[in-house]
Amino acid sequence: MPAMDQTQALQGLTEVFRTVFDQPDLVLHDAMTAADVENWDSLNHIDLIVAVERKFNIKFTTREVAGFQTVGDMAELTAKKVSAAP
Amino acid sequence: MTGKEHNLDYAALVAASRRLDVSGATQKIKVALLSDGATQRLAPILRTLFAREGVDAEIYEGPFDGIELEVYDRNSGLYKFQPQVVVLLNCVQALRADFLRPETDAASFVDSTSGRIARIWAAIQSNIPATIIQCNFVLPYERFFGNFDQKIPQSLYATVAALNSRIAENSRSRGSVLLCDVESVASWLGRRQWFEDRFWDSAKYFCALDCLPYVANSLVEIVMASLGRVIKCVVVDLDNTLWGGVIGDDGLDGIQVGAHGDGEAFYRMQLYLRALKQRGIVLAVCSKNEMANALLPFEKHPEMVLRREDFAAFVANWNDKAVNIRQIKDTLNIGFDSMVFLDDNPFERNLVRELVPGVVVPELPEDPADYVRAISELNLFETTSFSAEDAKRTEMYQAEAGRREEQAGFASVEEFLQSLDMSMTVGRFDPFHLPRISQLMQRSNQFNLTTRRLSEIECKALMENTSWLPIYAKLADRLSDHGLISIVTVEALPEDLAIRDWLMSCRVLGRGVESFLMNRVVEHAQKLGLTRITAQYIPTSKNGMVKDFFQQFGFDKVAESPKGQTQWHLITANYRPRPTFMKTVEE
Repeated sequence: MPAMDQTQALQGLTEVFRTVFDQPDLVLHDAMTAADVENWDSLNHIDLIVAVERKFNIKFTTREVAGFQTVGDMAELTAKKVSAAP
Repeated sequence: MTGKEHNLDYAALVAASRRLDVSGATQKIKVALLSDGATQRLAPILRTLFAREGVDAEIYEGPFDGIELEVYDRNSGLYKFQPQVVVLLNCVQALRADFLRPETDAASFVDSTSGRIARIWAAIQSNIPATIIQCNFVLPYERFFGNFDQKIPQSLYATVAALNSRIAENSRSRGSVLLCDVESVASWLGRRQWFEDRFWDSAKYFCALDCLPYVANSLVEIVMASLGRVIKCVVVDLDNTLWGGVIGDDGLDGIQVGAHGDGEAFYRMQLYLRALKQRGIVLAVCSKNEMANALLPFEKHPEMVLRREDFAAFVANWNDKAVNIRQIKDTLNIGFDSMVFLDDNPFERNLVRELVPGVVVPELPEDPADYVRAISELNLFETTSFSAEDAKRTEMYQAEAGRREEQAGFASVEEFLQSLDMSMTVGRFDPFHLPRISQLMQRSNQFNLTTRRLSEIECKALMENTSWLPIYAKLADRLSDHGLISIVTVEALPEDLAIRDWLMSCRVLGRGVESFLMNRVVEHAQKLGLTRITAQYIPTSKNGMVKDFFQQFGFDKVAESPKGQTQWHLITANYRPRPTFMKTVEE
């Protein structure tokens, strides 16, 4: 798996967010939090995590799942995990 | 249920639940979900799957881990909701936590837990007349003793397995408690995928998201069955569905069926269908074939599992299959939506899907080896009850089919019989027919005047004895070939012709077979110059229906024993040949 930077990760995440939150025009920014996205509740959070994991073929730990504060956090960790994958 | 949609993708179902349109629903149902796990995602998926079945489901979710609080409180939300169905979804994760508490007594855990569950059922039933669907426990992945787990009754693994058995046992005497076999769902999908501990820890999800629709699907299938949506009949094609090859082209020796080689897949398919029949599913044949060819393997192929009698309806002709399936439906008097049609040919499947809406037409895989699995995976035969009558359903439908034929609006029985285009094949016993002859001798109880159980060897002796005329009769008609259905043996004595055996399969009652054969017997006597025919009736516990048989043909009763055995004489000159409605084929 080639290295991935945070911008590329954000692009991929955009697709996932749009599907999970059912908002085809959603645009993501690094600073976005759950409060900024309609329907980002704890249930959708789990759907989101599973969808991201599937799309990027990575896995987050429980602590990571609970620790995401912003979209940027998620993009950063996603890029890191993808790049580190064998 | 037309296509039996099997899109069980989690994300797609959640998305669909957001824009669910139930305006076309034909039924409503109220379902309550009580669980010690999270059900927030189960509810919308259930609604979506119910909508696919044309059902508008209103779902009540009890408070998390509040099963007992809800059921023991007369004023609970559960009872206010007045559900028709209550789903009790107990999670093994919660059970495990309970079991592993230090104060838990492992030895009494099965008793105490199953007792607690049974009390929950009783509480619900004493408050509302709902159907209860109890989920069983998925077997845990922890193996504290490894493979030895099973040998330790107090191990977690053995305890969960025992508990599942106990719950099933307890449900058997309670008709309104149905089981949802979540354990089989999990083991089929794979417990490795099933358990997602992160989300149990954080949200009390009892399975991975991808598995959830399969649980919902199981629940929907049970509820639909409880609403009467059940499959009653499986209509099968023959060539390349029940056997490999084409009987009309390849002949009896050329088709593949039997427990070896290419036939194995078809052999398994037939075993599967026969088991379905024993479980109460009616089987029917719908084949593009000459009737004689279609019947050939059933009658003559030694390795066929299914026999002609296993089918309540047997249609083989060159009409299109939609027409034939309508005919089968009318014959059996069932609805299209209770029929499944199995055919290896995609053209026929599509034709039936297009022209006979309602009939369930599963895709069959290209490889016959995968037939049984593909059908089984669809779980088409969900039911909510099973009784002794189920096992006899084929006979019941066969009788019903006969009655409906007779009601078909003929001015007279004669006209009806005429319309059947019956043909009789009559012949002296021959080696070829001996197995079936002796079989009928062994089995025929009701229409059997003397009930002599002659073995194949004894039948063979009769065949070779020139003073005897032992004859068999085969009957076929427009709709089906009934095969060898009657046996009559007569012995020429110096003065008389004595009727020794007379028996007939009850499947062909009322068609005039006996009149046809009596005409033959009298002709035979006259040909031999014998002026009198003698006969006897020996009563058994089962053959009361033919007590007056000889009287009906003008015989005089000349003797009667205390046990009811009667002796009869007929002067051949007094006999008026009976009208018959069949043409003769000599063999």
